[in-house]
Order: sequence, then C-alpha cells, then structure tokens
Amino acid sequence: MADTVAMEIPPWRLLLVPLLLLVLAVMVTGLRRQAQGDENDLFLPAMETGTKASPFHRWDVRCKLLTLLTYAFCVASLRNLPPALLAGMVSLLALFVAGISWQRIALRLLGVGGFFGMLLVVMPFSVPPHPGDRLLILAGLENWAFNLRGLNLALTIAVKGLAVALLSEPLLATAPLPVTLQGLRRLGAPEIVGQMVLLSHRYLHVARQEARRMLNGMRVRGFRRRMCLVDLRALGNFIGMLFVHSFERTERVFSAMQARGYRGSLPEPVALRIMPADLWLSGFWTTLGVLLLIFDRFGS
Amino acid sequence: MHISDGVLPTAVALTGYVASLALTAWSARRISTEQLPKVAVVSAAFFVAALIHIPLGLTSVHLLLPGLAGILLGSAAFPAIAVALLLQCILFQFGGLTALGANALMMGIPALLCGWFFHACKGRSRSRLTICGGLTGALGVILAAGILAALLAFGGEEFFGAAKLVLLAHLPVVCLEALISGFTVAFLHQVKPELLSSPFGAQSGPIHG
Repeated sequence: MADTVAMEIPPWRLLLVPLLLLVLAVMVTGLRRQAQGDENDLFLPAMETGTKASPFHRWDVRCKLLTLLTYAFCVASLRNLPPALLAGMVSLLALFVAGISWQRIALRLLGVGGFFGMLLVVMPFSVPPHPGDRLLILAGLENWAFNLRGLNLALTIAVKGLAVALLSEPLLATAPLPVTLQGLRRLGAPEIVGQMVLLSHRYLHVARQEARRMLNGMRVRGFRRRMCLVDLRALGNFIGMLFVHSFERTERVFSAMQARGYRGSLPEPVALRIMPADLWLSGFWTTLGVLLLIFDRFGS
Repeated sequence: MHISDGVLPTAVALTGYVASLALTAWSARRISTEQLPKVAVVSAAFFVAALIHIPLGLTSVHLLLPGLAGILLGSAAFPAIAVALLLQCILFQFGGLTALGANALMMGIPALLCGWFFHACKGRSRSRLTICGGLTGALGVILAAGILAALLAFGGEEFFGAAKLVLLAHLPVVCLEALISGFTVAFLHQVKPELLSSPFGAQSGPIHG
C-alpha cells in the first residue's frame, strides 16, 4: 500500500455504519410495502400497460425493442459515474413520459436492490488497492481498508444498472405482452420462446393460486416454514405436488389449445406498421446512447 | 442470485446471449409441438416454486431448483429456465435485461448437466432415487454458483471478492436444496413415478417448428 493515500477515520464514526444499515433497512421495507402492499407470500405483479398515450405506447414495438435494447447495452458499457448518472436521469425522464406507476418503479428498485447492495458493501473492501487509490482506514483496521475506487466502481455499476432496470418499464410495460412477443418474433427470436413465455405467463397465475391454496391447507394443519427436517420434508412434498398438478394440467391445456385450432403457432394480435415517427424516435435514442458512450470514453 | 445490468463486460453479456440462443435452438429441436405447452406450464410451476422463501437465520432464501428442472424436463430444461428467467426479469427485475443470456447459461447449463447426472445414476430403489435427487439438487446449486462466480470474475480482479462471497453465500442454499430435492424426488417416486422415468426431452413426438 506504499503508493496509496491512506486516511485514518476516528472510531466513533464507525457508529455511522449501523445507522446507515438501519436507513437501508427502512428504505427496503418502504419499497417492499410500496411494491407489494400487504401481499408478501407468493406475490406476483400484474403486467400493466397503462392507458396513457405516450410516445412509448405509440412507438412500433419492433423499433422500440431493437432501439431500447441497443441503448441498454450502451448504458451497460459505461465505465464512469457522471455518464451513468446522466443515463439514470434519462431513465427517470422516460418513466415520467411513459406515465409509469410508483408501484412498478418500487418493484424494479426492490428487484435490483439486493445485488447492488451486495456490491456496494463488498467492493470497497474487496477491490485490491492500486497506486493512487484513496484508502479509508477505519479505527486502525489496516486489513479492512475502505477503498474509495471500489466504492466508485460499485456506485457506477449500481447507477447504470438502475438506469437500465428503470428503462425496462417503458420498454416492456407500454405494450401488451403478446404484442411485445410478436415484435420479438418479427425481429428473429425463435417462435418457441414467444409461445412459451405467453403460455407460462398465463399459467403462472394458475400455479400461484394452486400453490397458495395448498400452502393455506398446510398451515391449517400446523405447517410453519422453519429450518427443521419435518418442515423441509413437507415443503419438498408440497413442491412435488405442485409439479404433479402442473403435469396433469398439461394434458388438458394441450387438448384445449387443439380444440381452439392450435397447430403449432399462435395468431398475431395486431398488424405492425413502421411510421416515420418510429424511425425518428429510434434515431433519437440511438444517438443518445452513442453520445453517452462518447462522453464516457472521451469526456469524463 | 441473478446478475443485474451493468455488472458484466459487454462482450461477456453479448456472448451469453449468443450461447443461450444456440442452446435454446438446440433444446427446441428436441421439443415437439405437443410438448411445447407442457414445458411452458411446468416452467410456470418452477417459477412459482422458486418464489417460496425459507427462513435462514435473520434472513430468508428462495430455492433455485435447476436440479429438479433437469430431472423433470431433461433437454427441455434450458428453454424452460430461459423463459422463467425472462418472466422474472419482466415482472420482478430479478436479473438484468442485458445479462439475461448470462443468467440463462448460469441456471440452464446446470439443469442440463443435472438431468443427465440423475438419469445416469438414479437406479430403481427409493433410497437410491432419494439420494440421487438430493445430490442432483446440491449439484445444481454448486454449478450455478460456480458459473455465477466465474462470470463475475470475467469482470476483472475488482470482482474477485464479490465472486468469493457469492460462492460462500450459496453454501447454505446447497444444503437446503439437497434436502428439499431429495424429499421432492422421494415424493414423486411414491405418487407419480413416471415423471422420474424419462424427462420430457427424451419423449418422442413431432418436432416443433
């Protein structure tokens, strides 16, 4: 650590750590309440498309998928914090324009919170010190030096990850799922994937209802989720029964689909047409992504 | 744990997409038109089973189930897992859009290997099936955690610490998943043994597409 800059932090400041953890816990609880309400067990959010006629809702789904995915890869490739923060602001603006609900935003933040939280806690301590790095030495604990480069790296990853996560809402929640999958198929994705996503999404709710009913029955008979062999065996049996039911259902599902005329492909829900405005919007987002990359590599 | 956006180098994320698409295409060739809705429905059941949290100390963990997916679905496990991950990403933001390919590899490859392992070693007795089921469950999580750590390590030496922590954090999940997979396999052997005799992908029928 000869070439690094070490800064001693007085021990009393260590008290800030539990305070910070408490604030984080309160934030996560608040987000969970905002996202899931009182429904904690087997929570499954509905796919909202909203009724607002925003540019994202009007955008041709093929152009939207291709453009926003390209833009997402541009954002994911950023290496510095300032352009990542800019990308985050662009995503917030996109959420506002698309009229996305706070519940959906809270759900997205909750989804990425665990992974980014882990990086933010671990990386400042695990990133190996390089010459020129600033290290905070907490209460003389030299082996546990807090590397500010690690914090900066974790923050950059978290901010650009959040930017992409938030952009998922304008990308995926501004058209019905069958239309989004139709767009994916037209872009060359295997048809089997689209069909499986659609059917799985349809039967997710059926499987959840079934799982909830079975869990309620188990609770009535005294089952509690605890870390003991008896309860783990009950949970194993429960999962087995869930699969048995779903396998039995598969026969009926295929027969019902055949009765409705299924011959290996599903009908297209809408006729897709690309208008000049779609191309302009695609051009705008692609340019934005490229500008962010240029700013990242040469400007910051 | 799924990899979020912005963590992997772009080249690794793109390679993950290409490899996942190739494996999905390979699996899709083994799924008949009749099996497609079946795989989708079972995929939904896996999704729901993975939503169940089990208390562990001060926190709770959820099951990953790549081992059971491989046992029940065989070569069809890869697209089933890819679809479940896509839905998790769309609905919950578990795993990033740009890292979807890498996440599918992380869970799908262990499922394929676990399916092969189980059907090669399962034997006929209930006790052997149970032990094989438990080992497969554990193997699934070990492989998934190993691939996750390797993918993180691709990011450079800055991620080595996070990769080690990920491996350590999955140790209790390995034990849990081994026990629960063993119990589930024993239950299926008793209630519907044909589910364990051959996976979906090994059945014959008109091929999709």
